[in-house]
Amino acid sequence: MIRLQNVTKDYGGRPALVNVNLHIALGEFAFLVGPSGAGKSTLMRLLYREETPTSGSVFVGGVNLNRLHKRQVPLLRRRLGTIFQDYKLLPRQTVFNNVAYILRALGVDEKEVAKRVQSALSVVSLEHKADAYPDELSGGEQQRVGIARAIVNGPPVLLADEPTGNLDPATSLEIVQLLERIAERGTTVFISTHDTNIVNALRRRVIYLKGGEIVSDVDSGVYELEPNLNV
Amino acid sequence: MRHLRIFFRVIIETGIGVKRSGWSNWLVVSILAIALTIFGGILQVTMTMKNVVTAWGSQLEVSAYLKDGYQPKRVAREISQIPEVQLVEIVTKDVAWDEMKSTFKVASLANPLPNTLHIRASNPDAVEAVAAKVKLLSAVENIRYPLKVARKINEFRHFIEIAGFAITAALSAATLTVIGNTIHLLIESRQREIEILSLMGVSPFYIKGPFVLQGAAYGAGSAAVAIMVLAVMHMYLDPYITEQLVSLAPFLTNNLEYGMWQTFGVMLGLGVLVGAGGSAWTSGRYIKI
Repeated sequence: MIRLQNVTKDYGGRPALVNVNLHIALGEFAFLVGPSGAGKSTLMRLLYREETPTSGSVFVGGVNLNRLHKRQVPLLRRRLGTIFQDYKLLPRQTVFNNVAYILRALGVDEKEVAKRVQSALSVVSLEHKADAYPDELSGGEQQRVGIARAIVNGPPVLLADEPTGNLDPATSLEIVQLLERIAERGTTVFISTHDTNIVNALRRRVIYLKGGEIVSDVDSGVYELEPNLNV
Repeated sequence: MRHLRIFFRVIIETGIGVKRSGWSNWLVVSILAIALTIFGGILQVTMTMKNVVTAWGSQLEVSAYLKDGYQPKRVAREISQIPEVQLVEIVTKDVAWDEMKSTFKVASLANPLPNTLHIRASNPDAVEAVAAKVKLLSAVENIRYPLKVARKINEFRHFIEIAGFAITAALSAATLTVIGNTIHLLIESRQREIEILSLMGVSPFYIKGPFVLQGAAYGAGSAAVAIMVLAVMHMYLDPYITEQLVSLAPFLTNNLEYGMWQTFGVMLGLGVLVGAGGSAWTSGRYIKI
């Protein structure tokens, strides 16, 4: 589902990713971990085509993103659900409208919009907050709205870039457990994080990135500060 | 149906954008309405002046004096085949002689006058060309027409046209700048929202469309205000202007209304075009998706 082949990305001679090779299969749940500046966000940005690699190839759902025309980028992003550390909710829209926005922009009829938004909000247990505005919600609730928005269009891949970065430990665990439940329904979930607690609690595949290189890739792994090199 | 729903949503988003813009809507519409009123007023004046000058120029005649032995009717028919000729009037030598005798005391001698044709061109620009063509006819002995006047009138008409075009260009540029800056400010204030929509996979049409329509709405709204102002001015100033112009040139009576509806149409078209165009350009430049 996600494949990176010899991907290098540098910014004016400063390498952010160095010769990265990675494959994540359909329906898989994986963490991308590493200290700040390891290149996690850069890798995520390559996946939703906010960046392009300096060299190498990035594939999502069999599509080579290097060859993707600028006009096709929105089509790619609709097939990806993306969750951000700062939630990126529309502040002047209600919870319902935030989740419904992409469906309306795609011309889905209002009955269908209502049905799908209710369903997405029920997955994140926020049906009762449909009329609230983002600033009336806690951080955890805002991130759950972000998740509802990400899944409302039924994407096969869910990317989460530091989704618990602004949350307390208990809420963070709730959020990743929610993402794990979504993955159980067949969605590929790829989470970048430097939160050891959530990674160690779930014991799923852990890809360790350090200085722009993958130094470890372990199934049912934990996040250690100095991982065993086990690629 | 899906595309129709998307378009309908874009219109709704435009409405939301206009509502959010608050007082700045009034500011933009007021500035644009002033610019369009000036534009419409100048356009109206230039069109009327051009019309006056054209009507005046169309009074110019080429007089062709025929050689003896040629039938004036036949020559007149030949001349009326020239595309730029609007009217040919025949004054036979007998009529001219009778007229002369009734005006002056003339000794009884043989009629020395030639048959004459008075020719009017379809527009002042064509007078010289008509004169040149008529002169070439074998039946024509000589021609006479007010060359200097025709040239001056044409120069003045061209000056009015160029001045009108220059003013239209200058005011369009000013309007574009005002709309462009307003939409730029709106884009800046919604930059984060635009980034979110882009990351969600919302199409550029859906993101930029409301800004373009908002610009078009500003243009249309401003044009409507400017048209109302000009219509009121027309109502009160028309009788006075008509009186002045008709006293200056009596042949103008039927031509004075020319230009009002055209001006309003141009103002509306220009407002919408410049509004939408300015917004489209600004959106293209500042919305990076």
